Amino acid sequence: MKLYVKAFSSYRGDLNAFDVKKELKTKYKLDTRRQDSFIHLAVYGAQLLKDKIEINSNDELYVTSGVGNIDVLQKTNNYVHEEKEFIKPFDFINMLGNTTSYYVASSLGLKDKNAFQISDNFTFINTLVSVCASLNASKKEAILGSVDLSTNPEEVIKRVLGVSEETKVTSGVNYQKLSLSSLGALAEVEFDAKIHSLDEVEALLKKTKSKVVVSMRCERLDSKKDNEFFETMPSHYLNQAIETKEDLVYVDCFDDRYKIMKVNVLI
Amino acid sequence: MRSVNVLDYALKSSQGDARETLESIKTQNARVSFKEVATFDDTVKIPYHLFKDEVKEDSREIKKAIKKVVQSLSDKLSARQRANTALIVGTALVDINIVASVNASAYDYKKQPYASAKKSVDSFAQEISNELGLNPFTMTISTACTSSANALLEARNLIKSGVFEYAIVVGVEIFSQMMSDGFSSMKLLSLDVQRPFDVNRDGLVLGEAIAAVLVGEDDSSWRLRGGFSNCDSLTITSVSPSGGEYSKVMREAMRLANVAAKDVTALKAHATSTPANDMAEINAIREVFAPDVAFTALKPYVGHTLGACGILELAIFMSCVDDGFIPKTLNHSESIIKEYVPLQEPKACDSGVFMLNYFGFGGNNTSLIIQKESL
Repeated sequence: MKLYVKAFSSYRGDLNAFDVKKELKTKYKLDTRRQDSFIHLAVYGAQLLKDKIEINSNDELYVTSGVGNIDVLQKTNNYVHEEKEFIKPFDFINMLGNTTSYYVASSLGLKDKNAFQISDNFTFINTLVSVCASLNASKKEAILGSVDLSTNPEEVIKRVLGVSEETKVTSGVNYQKLSLSSLGALAEVEFDAKIHSLDEVEALLKKTKSKVVVSMRCERLDSKKDNEFFETMPSHYLNQAIETKEDLVYVDCFDDRYKIMKVNVLI
Repeated sequence: MRSVNVLDYALKSSQGDARETLESIKTQNARVSFKEVATFDDTVKIPYHLFKDEVKEDSREIKKAIKKVVQSLSDKLSARQRANTALIVGTALVDINIVASVNASAYDYKKQPYASAKKSVDSFAQEISNELGLNPFTMTISTACTSSANALLEARNLIKSGVFEYAIVVGVEIFSQMMSDGFSSMKLLSLDVQRPFDVNRDGLVLGEAIAAVLVGEDDSSWRLRGGFSNCDSLTITSVSPSGGEYSKVMREAMRLANVAAKDVTALKAHATSTPANDMAEINAIREVFAPDVAFTALKPYVGHTLGACGILELAIFMSCVDDGFIPKTLNHSESIIKEYVPLQEPKACDSGVFMLNYFGFGGNNTSLIIQKESL
């Protein structure tokens, strides 16, 4: 399966930390009330994308995440169960996954399909599969946002993600505008729903001339691995490949099952 | 061109399995339980459509209950077919795994030894998929009350694109104290019964459900003609009183399915029984359909099962038509709009084109078009 990237945007909290909420209010004149850090992060990434490309109101929107809005769950869990307070209506609403995609859609003026989806492991590659199948049916274009927010303490998100206690986790948001058409595309992304074996992956990596990035979950693969983690990391590396104009093979893994995403930069 | 069809369904509702739920609807005798929810200054007992055999707010119990429903469909597939079957979940359920992780690490007195077991909202699906020999591709759609209806549309796309031969789409909603208290905080819960489209409607009654459908291109009397889903609303929790956002999604679903309003045999409304949503929905029905349209609501029988209602109400509707009728709308005495009255008595029906509507918080609106061929 193939999709073409027409535009992209990235923000990583560990590389360029600033007050995202303030930036949304001052630079983009957006109402940030009744929202929380996860939603602010998602909307901010969307605005960065909007700065780069025209958004059509009938573009389809997909938002994916490793675990979703952990911030609001943590906060609400604290005051409901620890402090015995009554749940606040907007915290309840923000717990629903599609609240984030609603605010993203509103900030971009989107009125079409809007899906908040999560997949256990492989969440970014599986969402690409879903986006591609949807565009095959609708013949529209799609905006895909990948959002992951770290927690305080970090141990909460590490437990949820199932990574070791020493792993460096980061907050980040990455967007792509995706199309079935190569016209004016920055990059071609290849992926599929198929699971690969270790042997297949090793054979592919021997042949490839592209840069290779391997998820830290691929313990049995003898290759350079990313040294920090969030579930939608492939989305970050996809954008980075375009930024650096360097073709990429990204290998993701869980339970000895492998998935591959190839990025062929076209500019 | 081959169509994507609904090949089979299975469900667990407050009334029991598919057969028991059908019986409750036929006898118009729906069992309701009660739960306590918090209000601003007190706790109150609310009606709640709970499973007969309580599934506790515990991940192992929930997984076991989901697996049983999914397995009742996957058991009918060969090993080769199962390996070509994706498992797509629709749920609005608050992620209890995350709450467990918060409790295990954020509070000193609850602190537990660190364990790096991956847990996400989709973990049950992945584990069930492995255990039942399904394709490892799983996906969870969380778009509030449209979650599992949207999951069905995703499954249809994946099959039409040739990515998978089959998909099992499962809607899941189990009692969650946080979720129930959240609805209470928004003052959307009835203390009595749901009265869809009635002038005296005063809110919804929540319900538990696990419901699944098997879809694929094999021959079936039930065809998924199409559907449309969008995000269009006035605010995050409401649409225009005119229901313009709802009528738009209904019209687009019909256009994509190549169906005219006059061809629709009957309509299953979302019908939450809340004052604003029912008003918007009946205005949208008036905008799209003539007054003689047959429409009904299923939530008075099984409760509002949130993210599960897409598949639960689809499966129930199909089981009723398979049994030769469309159910009446319970608890209705005087309609909001006198020309548009939901079914007051069961209507004989064993085939036709049907529209099923689902509308949720976050502006998600979904309309499905299904068809049952005459025998």
